[in-house]
Amino acid sequence: MSIVRCKTFDGQEIAFVDEVIGSGAMKDVYFSPDRSYVVCFYKTPQDFQARERLQMITGRYRESIFSQVGGDYWKNLFCWPTAMLEHQGKLGLVAPTYAKHFFFEYGSRDGDKLSIKGKEKEGKWFAAANLRKRHLDPRELGTWLNHLKICLMLSRAVRRMHFAGLAHSDLSYKNVLVDPSQGMACVIDVDGLVVPGKFPPDVVGTPDFIAPEVVRTSHLAKDDPKRCLPRRETDLHALSVLIYMYLLYRHPLRGGKVHDVDDEARDEILTMGEKALFIEHPTDASNRIKLKNAKPTELPWADTAKLPYTLTGPYLTKLFKRAFIDGLHDPQARPSANDWETALVKTVDLIQPCLNPACEQKWYVFDNSTKPKCPFCGTPFQGKLPVLNLYSARAKGNFRPDDHRLMVWSGQSLFQWHANSLIAPNEKLSETQKKRVGYFQQHNGAWWLVNEGLPDLTEIVEGNNTPIPIRDKVALKDGQKLLLDKNDGGRLVIVQMVEA
Amino acid sequence: MSVRRLPVYILLDTSGSMRGEPIHSVNVGLQAMLAGLRQDPYALESVHLSIITFDIEARVYLPLTPLDAVRLAEVTAPDAGATFLGAALELLVQCVDRDVRKTTGEAKGDWRPLLFVMTDGSPSDLHAYREAIPQVQARNFGAILACAAGPKAKEALLQELTDRVVRLDTMDAAAFSGFFKWVSASVAVGSSSAGVTGQVSLPPPPPEVQLVL
Repeated sequence: MSIVRCKTFDGQEIAFVDEVIGSGAMKDVYFSPDRSYVVCFYKTPQDFQARERLQMITGRYRESIFSQVGGDYWKNLFCWPTAMLEHQGKLGLVAPTYAKHFFFEYGSRDGDKLSIKGKEKEGKWFAAANLRKRHLDPRELGTWLNHLKICLMLSRAVRRMHFAGLAHSDLSYKNVLVDPSQGMACVIDVDGLVVPGKFPPDVVGTPDFIAPEVVRTSHLAKDDPKRCLPRRETDLHALSVLIYMYLLYRHPLRGGKVHDVDDEARDEILTMGEKALFIEHPTDASNRIKLKNAKPTELPWADTAKLPYTLTGPYLTKLFKRAFIDGLHDPQARPSANDWETALVKTVDLIQPCLNPACEQKWYVFDNSTKPKCPFCGTPFQGKLPVLNLYSARAKGNFRPDDHRLMVWSGQSLFQWHANSLIAPNEKLSETQKKRVGYFQQHNGAWWLVNEGLPDLTEIVEGNNTPIPIRDKVALKDGQKLLLDKNDGGRLVIVQMVEA
Repeated sequence: MSVRRLPVYILLDTSGSMRGEPIHSVNVGLQAMLAGLRQDPYALESVHLSIITFDIEARVYLPLTPLDAVRLAEVTAPDAGATFLGAALELLVQCVDRDVRKTTGEAKGDWRPLLFVMTDGSPSDLHAYREAIPQVQARNFGAILACAAGPKAKEALLQELTDRVVRLDTMDAAAFSGFFKWVSASVAVGSSSAGVTGQVSLPPPPPEVQLVL
């Protein structure tokens, strides 16, 4: 196979093997000889605006995200084009190759009957109950905790774009690669991104993810002032739908309600647009999934009474309400990507391992009850469950609740972002901040916190505070107060002990 | 939450003139199309496939079956024989009326079905063919696509059925494989975007297929 050498607009020498390895709606894709990057060529000539946009994406926008402190972090979350070129009259771009874990390792069931091993892990495979249960090799499915992590990575990536003033405009499981086996996600196809007032969108989006206001006005001309086009707020709708689907394996708006008996295309437009209604709306039950129409392989996920969205815990529940009840037809009310990121971080702290080794989800969110059980397989929790309620210092000696709790399980870790409210677990963490500062272990019926890196750790008892030095340990008791950090933003923990 | 089904009907000419390399190429093309569609999670969730073959008679070669359950035996062609495309269309109408689910107040029905017709000749039962056309058109297909394969295929007659007629100049493996790739790309587009655009917009045909306008 012949190798083509050319130069990018910014003068880099690149090469590609002259054989199309993939072909999308817009572009043909070629591998570099060492397969470390790909070269994509647009099938059709691009207009001035598209060229200018691509120039900004490979240039200024890319630098604004990647050339700052923590910039390397984003290399895992975005597949961002690095350069532009022209070859034989065709406009092209250079982009990194997708990481190896975004290709199926095992593929489908029964010895990969569908022959998808080695293919890209398109999100759709993991977001539909039937595809998961019936087709995918169980080793590809990952745990529910990893699905939370996927949502976290995704929210973080979208937050970063939005903070830079950019909108993706076509977020969907087609444009996000996921790896549930490790809890990774990567946003791809950013070359269509929207900059308000500068680069308008050139797509309306992908079905399932197009915001109701865009669907509702899709019949109007592009320059009609009433026409709604993709922008930041429509990204937020798509993000909410993605998170809902990755955690519950069903679509939040595809219920049983029929809007047009004669015309299924019009019914679809109403279902996703003007008449869009959350399938779990608390007061309007008319769009509930009809179980008798569901495939057996879609159960139990199709059963919203058995697996309601509230199983995602208090923080996500609040956001799903804002996304699909308050904000479904009111774009300004939708939760931001930052809201999702914060809620997901807090939800990860609420997670418990399921005691049933055969549980498919393996992890679940503590339901704040005295008799916790896994909502997926029904296995009850048994034993002592310490819950650490986090408070942070406002004025000296005054601690206010943070609405943030940490569930304790064997091997659970304590990090600096638990010890201090001014530290957030995101791309800005330094290497030292990423290190664990303590861990929990059950021993002889008691739960212990082992101090590994908290110089200030103190058990607070009126008039008799006991410091717990590094490498020492403290047994957890109901009602106990532990000061984790004496500095600004330092946290106090109040322990609750649930016995089931 | 069951997604709407996308019924896909393929009508294949198995008349005597298809015997040999052409029918062999059709089989290879069909298998490749099936394998390709099964790798597409959208198609896997919605596509249901039916194949009707026709020569001196028309028969349901594959009843409407979910994509992942389709098992295809080799399609064969007799030594000689006529091209009863009219009979095939009549059979198609019966199948569509029986199989395609209508929406009710209780349950969402199917997407508008897609129809692909491939022939290398012209209908021997021309009267029946012309009688069946309005019947087919009344079935409200999302798209009808006809393929005139080889030099003897009569495009003008196919244009009475649909304005989307493509022509294969040769009847070798490459041409058929290109055609089935196009069919599967069209089905994939239909299964991932059905409903939003109202009409299924087909991807551009492969270079070896001529679009007759």
